[in-house]
Amino acid sequence: MRGKVSRKTIFAFLGPSVIALALIGIAPLLYALWTSLHFFNLTKLRRVKFIGLENYGEVLTDGAFWQAMGRTFYLLALSLPLQLALGMGIALILHKPGLTLLKTLARLSLVLPMATTYAVVGLLGQVMFNQKFGVINQFLSPFGGGSINWIGDSSNAFIMIVFWDVWQWTPFVALVLLAGLTMVPGEVEEAARLETKRWWTILRYVQLPFLMPGLVAVLILRTADTLKLFDMVFTLTRGGPGSSTELISLMIQRVGFRAFDQGLASAQAIILLIITIILAQIYIRVFYREV
Amino acid sequence: MKIRDLLGSTALALGLAFGSVSGASAWSLKEAAAPYAGTTVDVVFLLRPGYEAIEAMLPEFEEETGIKINIIKHPYENALGEQVRDFVAGGDLDIALIDLVWIGNFAENEWIVPISKFTSDPALADPDLDMDDFFPLVLNAFGGWNGEIYGLPFDNYSGLLFYNTCMLEEAGFDGPPETWADLKDVYGPALTKDGKYAYALQSKRNETQSADSFARVLWPFGGSFLDENFRSNLLSEESQAGLQFRQDLMQYMPDGIVAYDHAETVNAFGQGDVAMITEWSAFYSTVVNPETSKVADCVAIAPEPMGPAGRKPALGGFSLAVAAQADDAEQAAGYLFIQWATSKANAGEYLERGGVPARQSAYADPALAETYTFIPALVESWQDGVPEFRPRFAEWPEITEIVQEWGTKIMLGEVSTVEGAEELGTRMEAVLEDAGYYSGDKPLAQ
Repeated sequence: MRGKVSRKTIFAFLGPSVIALALIGIAPLLYALWTSLHFFNLTKLRRVKFIGLENYGEVLTDGAFWQAMGRTFYLLALSLPLQLALGMGIALILHKPGLTLLKTLARLSLVLPMATTYAVVGLLGQVMFNQKFGVINQFLSPFGGGSINWIGDSSNAFIMIVFWDVWQWTPFVALVLLAGLTMVPGEVEEAARLETKRWWTILRYVQLPFLMPGLVAVLILRTADTLKLFDMVFTLTRGGPGSSTELISLMIQRVGFRAFDQGLASAQAIILLIITIILAQIYIRVFYREV
Repeated sequence: MKIRDLLGSTALALGLAFGSVSGASAWSLKEAAAPYAGTTVDVVFLLRPGYEAIEAMLPEFEEETGIKINIIKHPYENALGEQVRDFVAGGDLDIALIDLVWIGNFAENEWIVPISKFTSDPALADPDLDMDDFFPLVLNAFGGWNGEIYGLPFDNYSGLLFYNTCMLEEAGFDGPPETWADLKDVYGPALTKDGKYAYALQSKRNETQSADSFARVLWPFGGSFLDENFRSNLLSEESQAGLQFRQDLMQYMPDGIVAYDHAETVNAFGQGDVAMITEWSAFYSTVVNPETSKVADCVAIAPEPMGPAGRKPALGGFSLAVAAQADDAEQAAGYLFIQWATSKANAGEYLERGGVPARQSAYADPALAETYTFIPALVESWQDGVPEFRPRFAEWPEITEIVQEWGTKIMLGEVSTVEGAEELGTRMEAVLEDAGYYSGDKPLAQ
């Protein structure tokens, strides 16, 4: 088969993608790598010089960097299980037979949060969680929570970020898992239901193996998304109050574009990239199994 | 022939002489701009009242000159980054909008052109420019660096005390506090009740934390960021007194004050939730406008309260300077716009439309103070201000990030004022050492 396709044809099909990827993805990465090895401050361009791994050393020994990294993983540890649990629940409900019209409407409405721009979510959050006139406090006031300071309190601000991340991305998890459930052969599922009425047993031994590829994809994508989550938090809290919601992506933006230290910011970004790749590899090796 | 030549050359010389004299006396914007008609000038504006004021006046300038002013609007937080990227990339900006703390940065990078290049050109310089008419403090702090003037003051602020006379009268006060101590110890307890607060100090973690919050409590108490050797002065008794004062004052401010930027603070005042704020003069038009303020009829203005070291009000504002990257025609056209926007002739209209000019002559009419009640306090502040309220050197963008982070941590109680000042000082000095101030590579200039 391979002998029948000429090299020209292969290049014609693959070439444009490879060139586009090289221009859009690889070239900036190489530039970031070069920058990370230099003292490179946009406001001090006359002093650009090669400094080897000095930026990396500064990043690795900077407590603020690891605090931001810890905060980011804390967000991931809080929001991902919630998204998986809620997403699985929604997927299982939508997978049940019957109520076709309602389920179609539900599937459509699941797309809305995902389609909302991150920055708009942040702005919505500012209005809805406003201490004085926000709808959330209005809603909570009968229960004694009418004056919660969401944006100005460190813990509450973080809870707010978790809430919006779960709101926006649970539907994605639900749709991916729903697609996985439709892969389960009907006769296998039917046979299992004749054997047991325990939904957990069916889920664990029949449906879960078919969900694993989707779950691994969700884990990788949500981890990568959380590690680079920026717009929503920037428009909602700008990383505050203090540093309480300064995730790693906000820190990199602050160093690179507010203090203009592109070299240090590039080193931070490269380290973040390495961590993301390692995590993706771990997910694939530990969780991924071919059905 | 010789006689004809002589007569001819005499006539030419007389013609030139009279022509030049009449040209000098009849300088007009229209004629000066004629060679540059059709030129487009790109400039960054902020989303603030002073910019809306000049934008409303712009059609007159464009009609008279044929120069097109292309305004690119940014919120303050983005303005520095957008301009730095544009200048580094050799972009399109022809005029730089410079916060007073950016002037050292822009000048040292040679992104802007000294104003003398244009004021020395009779074809461009308006004979009525009158540089001496600018408040000297404002001209030097906003537009000057190392003895050279680069920008002309355009959007000019001084910190003022805005107070709600209705709330103060109800609490038994017939005037605003004269000192910070009175504000905290007398007005604070009396005005903080029933969900209302005596005072709000905008302290969000951005330039607001550095300029409006941190620096505001340093200077009146005798403190400062740096000493005369550019070493941290934040652990001095005076600086610590100021920072501790801010902590003590927080009990009379709304919850979550560290999330308050200018908008939240002005809104809180405008909604009648807060009795006093110390804000920039630029927000005057917002709080006295019944469409944006519920307390428009109760607003009064005073200079900022005094501390043990005097008044030392906050100083901030912007100048406009010609960008070095612009070509000759754009530079000339840009200068003509700056000169026009900051001129004596337009200062009155700029004021009426919500701007705050830096022209002394604009405030000379005592009747104006009745219409614009902020004027006496503003003029007093500009005569009593501190040019280095925030250091204006090129390293400020890095230092302000440190102040923002640790200033907020102090306010949140995550570190004490001493711990915060120690960390801040160490980090500030590392930046200054790296810049070469301690090795003598760079003069200790502010």
